[in-house]
Amino acid sequence: MTVVSPLGYRFPGGTYTIAHWENWLLTDCTTAEPLPDDLAHPVALFHVPILGAGTSITTLFEVCGAEGPGSVGLDGYDWEYMRPLRIGVEYRMEGGIVRWEQLVDERGNPYDSMSFSIEMFDAEGLAARITNTWRFRRRKIEDVTGETS
Amino acid sequence: MKVGDQLPEFAVPSVDPARMKTMAAVLRDPYRVHWDREATREMGLEGRVINQGPLNLSYIVNMLHSFSGPTSVRRLTVSFGRPVFDTDSVVAGGEISAIDGDRATCAVWLKRGDEIVVSGAAVIDIAHLH
Repeated sequence: MTVVSPLGYRFPGGTYTIAHWENWLLTDCTTAEPLPDDLAHPVALFHVPILGAGTSITTLFEVCGAEGPGSVGLDGYDWEYMRPLRIGVEYRMEGGIVRWEQLVDERGNPYDSMSFSIEMFDAEGLAARITNTWRFRRRKIEDVTGETS
Repeated sequence: MKVGDQLPEFAVPSVDPARMKTMAAVLRDPYRVHWDREATREMGLEGRVINQGPLNLSYIVNMLHSFSGPTSVRRLTVSFGRPVFDTDSVVAGGEISAIDGDRATCAVWLKRGDEIVVSGAAVIDIAHLH
């Protein structure tokens, strides 16, 4: 399957405020106790920028031509925190797809490697920045080599 | 504190598939491999669901929090080498690789037995630990 390169695709942008309930559930999923002082668990830096930028995992899968179970893999994250994330703070997001490469894995299977970056601002300025890299496999393979999201 | 010091480990004795379902809802993650055993049967994985990458990373974050506190994490740069499945036993660990003033860089990892499934580096604020 050949997908039109989404390089340069910009997310609509928007804002997001982490709710107490979602941070509580998220933190519970990590097997940890809630953090003090309205601190959000740092792993909120996965879904908060995506949703706050006005996009979604579903949209990213569509734009990049995901083909079903096993077709999407996770390669890496680079997440920077200028200060801790907090519940109840309105963050503004902007970003887009910044890298798209057609590659072949160690078994000879083709895949597209996609990176997207999002910056997250609060009233003081830049609060966090992420770059996530996913792979979109273009042929069924016998086993998986990575997870999402 | 010095370069080469090991960070205290954070263990998850059995990765819980119920938590993956909750995580999928929080993330609005439609990828069936995290919550639908039929999806992973189609992949030849015998119906074991695959833990979300953010959850694998969260165990490393929890390990860092236990060492340097809940406001200490400044940067996480990680690669995901192998999937983690429900009921897997995993352990997060790390080692201080550099110290520069109030910041320490740590090599971090998540292991299943002797196999490294996530690896990378973390920068943490250690000002309050001096």
